[in-house]
Amino acid sequence: MTSKKDCAKRLGIYLLIAFAFSTLLIVLRKPMQSSETVSFLVAELFCASPAVASLITRAVTGEGFRDMKLHLNLTENLRYYLLSFALPLIAISVMYLVPVIASGHSSWLSGFTPANVLACVMILAGQAALVSVGLLGEELGWRGYMNQKMQPLFGTFGTCLIGGIVWGAWHFPIDIANYLSGSGTLRYSLETAFGRLALLACFGVFLMWLTQKTGSVFPAVVAHFIYNASQNAVMMLLEQGNIPEDADLEGFTEAFEYVPFLIIGAVFMVLLLNDKKKALQTA
Amino acid sequence: MTGLVYKEWKQNRFFILMMIACGLLPFVMILYNREIVTNAEEMGNFRTICTVIAFLAAGGIQTMVLNGDDRKIWGYWITAAPEGYRGFIRVKYEMVFAMIVLFVTSLRMFDELFCAAAADKGWELTGSMSTFAIPLAFLQMLLRATDIPFTLRYGNKKGGIIKLIFSVLFVIIISVLVLTNAGNIDVILFETGEKLFTEDNLSLALGILCVIAPAAYYISYRISCRVYLKGVEQYDK
Repeated sequence: MTSKKDCAKRLGIYLLIAFAFSTLLIVLRKPMQSSETVSFLVAELFCASPAVASLITRAVTGEGFRDMKLHLNLTENLRYYLLSFALPLIAISVMYLVPVIASGHSSWLSGFTPANVLACVMILAGQAALVSVGLLGEELGWRGYMNQKMQPLFGTFGTCLIGGIVWGAWHFPIDIANYLSGSGTLRYSLETAFGRLALLACFGVFLMWLTQKTGSVFPAVVAHFIYNASQNAVMMLLEQGNIPEDADLEGFTEAFEYVPFLIIGAVFMVLLLNDKKKALQTA
Repeated sequence: MTGLVYKEWKQNRFFILMMIACGLLPFVMILYNREIVTNAEEMGNFRTICTVIAFLAAGGIQTMVLNGDDRKIWGYWITAAPEGYRGFIRVKYEMVFAMIVLFVTSLRMFDELFCAAAADKGWELTGSMSTFAIPLAFLQMLLRATDIPFTLRYGNKKGGIIKLIFSVLFVIIISVLVLTNAGNIDVILFETGEKLFTEDNLSLALGILCVIAPAAYYISYRISCRVYLKGVEQYDK
């Protein structure tokens, strides 16, 4: 049994390393602007930094490399894999499409033909199987390591909340990149950063639930991949529609950007707390 | 199951790690031939050829991990083990799949690195190879889905020969049908091809390939489970 002190120490080392890598995006921004190669290498290092940080921490603290949650458990967890594919896809679709429909611009959705939608879903499914593994660089760290260390310290609710904030904060260098390079305002960068933080905190609850249910980080990897890739897919289909140059949505529809993930966060938080209650009762 | 994963790793780690090298292969080939390729268009064609060569090399190596287990004594032993022969076959399939994923990841990463380096040199390269490599990876998955059951059923040597006979027979039948135009097949093939590969349907065709390949891979696993014990009886003969 690992003591709380050990967990805190390991968590501290992990976060220090992960955030040290993320600050490289700020520190090396000038060489990144002048060289595509440097930009690529730093971006790759940044993406893999949570996994690298977890491996370094495991090595440094002598914790070892067991319980990295790397088993696929595909047959037993097929329904969770399906959920990890479907739920982010539906949530992202609602997030993007409901504001368009609610504003009375259904005609913009002419790109969403049955053949196009079917093709997108199938390509996403195939890609989720083949190229989602890149997201292991994040999930091995956040869900596979950080959450495990946070739970004894902060409990389930605290882990979801603090873990979500930490995850969002780690993305901060990306959000302010435009401002630092002089092509955006600080206000816009901060809005993006806090918007992402809210979304990731809610989405992180779902990923944590998936990891706990399956004992594997792979469903979280798939869900995270679909979260990223389905945004591109929906945008690509939107671009095929007849959207005017000066298109603008009603102000009230901005709320839909957060509603799907707020609901997901709330539902899976309840499920996580219920699971914990059941585990305590059976113990 | 962990034991079987460990066994596969110990036995095939060289081939598994070779997948990373295969991903690096186009990059090395381009560097080696950098004086021959003089403009961006030539570079695009050369990258495509190098990627296909890398796929062929990776495919060859992927089939090598099937060698060595076609022994009667191993077949009996693993059947009696707690995981059973199904566990063994499952790990084999997972490993081959992981090799394809590792190869594609390595290929994409080195290609993006190459594109970035080329951009620094002032070369405008048209996109990354990912759009081309991913359909090829699904095709590779389909090929492995046919290789593995043959190898498990007939052993390495015999399985290879039988697969070759089936492939040649298939090619002959198609050629005869096309040459003799039996059942108006030329028109049917042409019309189907025309309908399938229009700009509108191309992404749908790709989508279907994306779903069919993993489905075929799973069906192949089920077939392998069914034929494995029959195959074991024929090993060492």
